[in-house]
Amino acid sequence: MAPKIGVVTFPGSLDDHDALRAVRLSGAEPVSLWHADGSLDGVDAVILPGGFSYGDYLRCGAISRFAPVMTEIVHAAEAGMPVLGVCNGFQILCEAHLLPGALIRNDVQTFVCKDQDLRVESVDTTWTSAFGTDQLINIVIKHGEGGFVADEETLRRLEGEGRVVFRYVNGNPNGSFHDIAGICNERGNVVGLMPHPEHNVDPLTGPTTDGRPFFTSVLNFLSARV
Amino acid sequence: MARVVVDVMPKPDILDPQGKAVTGALARLGFSGVSVRQGKRFELELEGELTDGRLADVRKAAETLLANTVIETFAVRVEQPATEPGEQSATEPVEQPAPEPGEQSATEPVEQPATEPGEQSATEPVEQPPGKSAGTGADEPGETA
Repeated sequence: MAPKIGVVTFPGSLDDHDALRAVRLSGAEPVSLWHADGSLDGVDAVILPGGFSYGDYLRCGAISRFAPVMTEIVHAAEAGMPVLGVCNGFQILCEAHLLPGALIRNDVQTFVCKDQDLRVESVDTTWTSAFGTDQLINIVIKHGEGGFVADEETLRRLEGEGRVVFRYVNGNPNGSFHDIAGICNERGNVVGLMPHPEHNVDPLTGPTTDGRPFFTSVLNFLSARV
Repeated sequence: MARVVVDVMPKPDILDPQGKAVTGALARLGFSGVSVRQGKRFELELEGELTDGRLADVRKAAETLLANTVIETFAVRVEQPATEPGEQSATEPVEQPAPEPGEQSATEPVEQPATEPGEQSATEPVEQPPGKSAGTGADEPGETA
């Protein structure tokens, strides 16, 4: 039986359907989760998709972080369930303190939408094990508030513990400290990043299929576990 | 009904692109020598009496939701302490609990009046303190509202 990967839909989520499709293309069973549900329907992993949940009111992710489904996700993540936060999902993970730091408005003061070069800095996570170390990839970004910030101590810890998972190369699009595009928690099961791997899984709709290894990675992990 | 205000500001070491954009726009409009940082103000209307416990709850709420303390600081202040008409405060909200009612003073509190507060300022609301005295602000932003 294929592993089940849930994708949460919040009011204002945009990329939930692309994420569900990417899950399906990867061979896993996609499961749609609703923000107001207090259950994860027995999924093996969760994706928090991009978009503008709750209209980005207050701060991006600040209100979604308290949605009923998030209580379950926080517990599951702390117990080791793979969780991937993409863009708005990354912001939610930071607000929920599953990941350190925060994402603020781009220093360029504009929304940025482009195919972005990235370097895979860590393959030691549930979501990146199928990449090669230091592999250069290209994945679309599209966000207005993707500047990753954290205090010096946190940055030192992230760098020291190899928890910077992706870094922007050939230009920092948003002012992120240390060119950070994505990070993970200590255990490596929770990964958040601004770029959108779910958009880069099909040659028809993306310039690369560099998003696929995210799904391969988590499937490898889940298959090995079962 | 008490009113408590929570001010949320980006931490000084955190880039504030919105404040920067506003600063730039002000400069283009001729308001030179002005640097802006943009925050948020929340007005909380609390039913019943304002106790220390309620105030502690407000702080908790600010810390939990209103501010992200990774990137923001917050300040809680009582704007309208109590339900009762009070003894004379009535018309003007007391923005900061600290300054004494004094003699009918300022409508708007000035956070940092100028380099020198001087002694004669007291009654004036001093909306744009640096402009006149310093003489550096070439263009007058205008009058008090």
